Amino acid sequence: MSFLQAILDGLLVGGVYAVISIGLTLVYGVMGIVNFAQAEFLTIGMFVAWFAWAFLGLDPVLAAPLSFAVAFAIGWVVQGQLIARVLSAPSVAQIFLTVGVLIVIENGSLLLFGSQFRSVTTSYQTISLSLGSLFISVPYLIAFSMSLACGAALWWFMRASWFGRAMRATAQNPSAARLMGIDTDLMYKMAFALGVGLTAFGGAVILPYVTVFPGVGGQFVVLMFTVVVLGGLGSVAGAVVGGLAVGVIQALSSLVFPIQLQNLVLFIVFILVLAVRPQGLIGASR
Amino acid sequence: MKRCLALAVVIAAAALLPLLLDQRGYWIRVLTFTLLFAAMAQSWNIVGGLANQTSLGHAAFFGIGAYTSTVLLLKFGISPWLGMLAGGALGGLAAFIIAIPTMRLQGHYFALATLAFGEVMRVIANVWTSLTGGPGGLSVPFVPPGFAAYSFKLLRPHAYIALAALVVVTAIFEAIRRGAMGYRLRAIRQNAAAAEVIGVDTTRVKLQAAVISGALIAMLGTLYAQVAVFFDPDTVFGIAGISIRIALIAIIGGVGTAAGPILGAFFIIPLEELMNDLLSSRAAGLSQLVFGIILVAVILWQPRGFITVLGSWRARLSRAVAP
Amino acid sequence: MSKLNSLGIADVSRRKLLSGTAAFLAAPFVISSARAEAPPVNVGVIMPLSGPNAQFGINSRNGIELVADEINAAGGIAELGGAKINLVVADATSTPTTAGTVAQRLITQQDMTAMLGAFASSLTIAISEVTERRDIPLLTMSFADQITGRGYKNIFQVVAKASVIGRAQFDYTAAIAQAAGAKIDKVAIMYEDTAYGTAQANGLRAGAKGANVELVMDDAYPLGITDTTPLINKLRGSGAQAVFPVSYLNDSLLIIRTMRQQKLTMPAIGGAAGYVIPDFEKGLGEFAENVFSIAPANYDLAPELTERFRRRFGYFMVHEALEHAVCLEVLVQAIKKAKSAKAEDVAAALRGAKFTGGWINGMTGGAVQFDQSGLNVLSVPLMVQWRGKDIVTVWPKDIARSAPVWRS
Repeated sequence: MSFLQAILDGLLVGGVYAVISIGLTLVYGVMGIVNFAQAEFLTIGMFVAWFAWAFLGLDPVLAAPLSFAVAFAIGWVVQGQLIARVLSAPSVAQIFLTVGVLIVIENGSLLLFGSQFRSVTTSYQTISLSLGSLFISVPYLIAFSMSLACGAALWWFMRASWFGRAMRATAQNPSAARLMGIDTDLMYKMAFALGVGLTAFGGAVILPYVTVFPGVGGQFVVLMFTVVVLGGLGSVAGAVVGGLAVGVIQALSSLVFPIQLQNLVLFIVFILVLAVRPQGLIGASR
Repeated sequence: MKRCLALAVVIAAAALLPLLLDQRGYWIRVLTFTLLFAAMAQSWNIVGGLANQTSLGHAAFFGIGAYTSTVLLLKFGISPWLGMLAGGALGGLAAFIIAIPTMRLQGHYFALATLAFGEVMRVIANVWTSLTGGPGGLSVPFVPPGFAAYSFKLLRPHAYIALAALVVVTAIFEAIRRGAMGYRLRAIRQNAAAAEVIGVDTTRVKLQAAVISGALIAMLGTLYAQVAVFFDPDTVFGIAGISIRIALIAIIGGVGTAAGPILGAFFIIPLEELMNDLLSSRAAGLSQLVFGIILVAVILWQPRGFITVLGSWRARLSRAVAP
Repeated sequence: MSKLNSLGIADVSRRKLLSGTAAFLAAPFVISSARAEAPPVNVGVIMPLSGPNAQFGINSRNGIELVADEINAAGGIAELGGAKINLVVADATSTPTTAGTVAQRLITQQDMTAMLGAFASSLTIAISEVTERRDIPLLTMSFADQITGRGYKNIFQVVAKASVIGRAQFDYTAAIAQAAGAKIDKVAIMYEDTAYGTAQANGLRAGAKGANVELVMDDAYPLGITDTTPLINKLRGSGAQAVFPVSYLNDSLLIIRTMRQQKLTMPAIGGAAGYVIPDFEKGLGEFAENVFSIAPANYDLAPELTERFRRRFGYFMVHEALEHAVCLEVLVQAIKKAKSAKAEDVAAALRGAKFTGGWINGMTGGAVQFDQSGLNVLSVPLMVQWRGKDIVTVWPKDIARSAPVWRS
């Protein structure tokens, strides 16, 4: 029974890890950049949702599209002004540029919003549903559902819309895409903005159970990277699988090992998976 | 010949610097850490620059070195110099252990797998309280001053030791780069498959680079422990504080070159200190924010590192001098 | 390079800092055009102003600023000719080694009388390595056992040790339960695996062992955990009658909320940190009501003093702010006693003497006295309980402001 509960909890939490991380893998998939600042957009998304809750009375889940929009706009500018300039630079320069952006956003938030810990109170925070003797936490369930919806929307977008297909084309072969008339610069902006917007969306969705402060994104960085690399960098399906896998591994490890070691177990599994499948669980190598 | 002269001048100037600074003061401490981080970045450079494998987990080996020598000192009274050698051995071993499962990983996958390994070591240090003191950290015990005990009353000897370490690691880096191993690493970097075809044992070469790099940075961990006197798992196994920082230093300066880590360290560390000095009392987070902005600006300006600036100055100079 | 002192006044150049500051501050009080008399007393304030502990660092700095401004407004330190306190504030960052370098910098740049800092024990330990070697007294409210366990002469800790606080967290709970007619046989401990969480957990364990109470759950969890469900699942299955969580804010909210979700109503007795800041109640609303926590000090012991903090900064005087205010008050009294602003004289005056009055009324016993190891032997932990938006001291009985409410 505790095994089932653990699987259930792991899946619910994992679904959320997935929605937060999808953006990261999208950015990598289209642009080849590992965006270390991605988690800072989680912070931005959470702050936007918090202010929407505090001043407009909006439930964070409803404010998620707003978080998406704000992060999208900021991401558009960041890509155009900063990232675009290093697209042809060595990949290490690109990585460390994003590290710089991480520092700027985190400390900018500290200056703008202060260091307090802000959380929301919603009606469903302390409720959980009972399924037999299993508990299903409502905030997690809602977050999980939103994640599914978000993932489905992204999947549809990438398959069915012109933009989505253009982005995939750019990811596959930028030169060929340009020859086909696709404005690859625009595609890069879209991909980055979309990617960070998705992470911000995820931030709003988890606000009911995570407290926001300027450093909150930093707490998720390693987790996000583990999720996307485990699933396979660049693969949206990989991010989903990776997210669920990470959630379940953490939950199951807590049954057997001390909870303190849950990340240790996760990382060892992660390294072993990569040793056997260097491209990640689902990943296609870029 | 000219290069050797320039090098000799630089080293001599560097050796004089600690003499000019107040022994009890702040600048000599900054200099010591700058030299130390330059040496650490140089060790990383062997793997990150020559082998072109961006490791984000070098803190794993660094922390192993710091803890090994300190624990041996605390539990058995062993001199940190010997502890340093033990740490180096363990660091090299750890590098070997992690190199095997990550051998086949490409670029970003390798980076994140090494990052995960660094975290593994951090959690182990945090949890294994009986050995490492856990999250409370360890203090290097006070022993009467003496070279054999690696204990000094003031900072100047620490600065010289850090300088010597930097010279040694740089020499090793250059020896590798100019030697057969460097040639093989370059071949692998350009085209691993082709390298195999011409007979380069890519696995072995990469392992060698990894082990040397790991062992060196582990030994530097001892130096750090002796200067800092107190550390905890977050400090010596830290992603941001160690792993990312040394990679950043090498990259800002110019990855793959001998001067790169040195330039990078002399830029980054005094800059951080300056920002803290000027701005940290005004508003929380301001000093870090400005540091981040400067970082972004520098990378945008010179994505390949400061070394390219030096290169272009030298080119311009030689063009100006030549008829 | 110009600097801002604690009142936000820019100086012309570093060399003129001392005389310039003194002149500026003394100007309103000097009728004649003669040069200002007393050079200010430099007190270093090193706190984490960025990173995960920024909130607590800022709170601490606020407490110190309040007291410094009061003393300066009242004419400074009379024994030194009206010398004003000059707070030299710097960001310790979150790395102990950097904190040490920052301390070194402050000592090098001006004549420091003393330092206050740095909330987190690891930062304080690193700073103390510097201040001990430079014979500068360091006053702190960090409470890891190691701080006073090294035989250092220049460290002064105003609150009880972590192991004592952890032990009191248990012992007081047992006493409160007993007074309410409840008997506790099984308890659960869960704690963040930081230095602070681990140290207090040691104290809790000792308490449980001493009372022969069974520890049905004793789990550390990683800092920054985002999902506490496994912990609460385990708690639910453990049969514990009381739970002792030791955490910062995010996990404290998660723990209490998840307990609610799973309909767990056993009393929760927090280990300070996240459990005793206003954000706790803001996050939980009605669910914060009657949650207990141990605390090294609390503002309701001296409301006439601590309300000034609330008026100026808008939130109740959290314990780290109060304790740092006390640190500054003790320091000033030591300076007065020594009639000198020289570090060695002040350090000598700090050792052994009993300090009372002013902000020291906010500490248990109304007095502070440091023993040979630098520990304030008069500080006793207290148990607080949330009542509305305030935390109220409920134990020990002789200093309680209200009776504890125990609901098994």
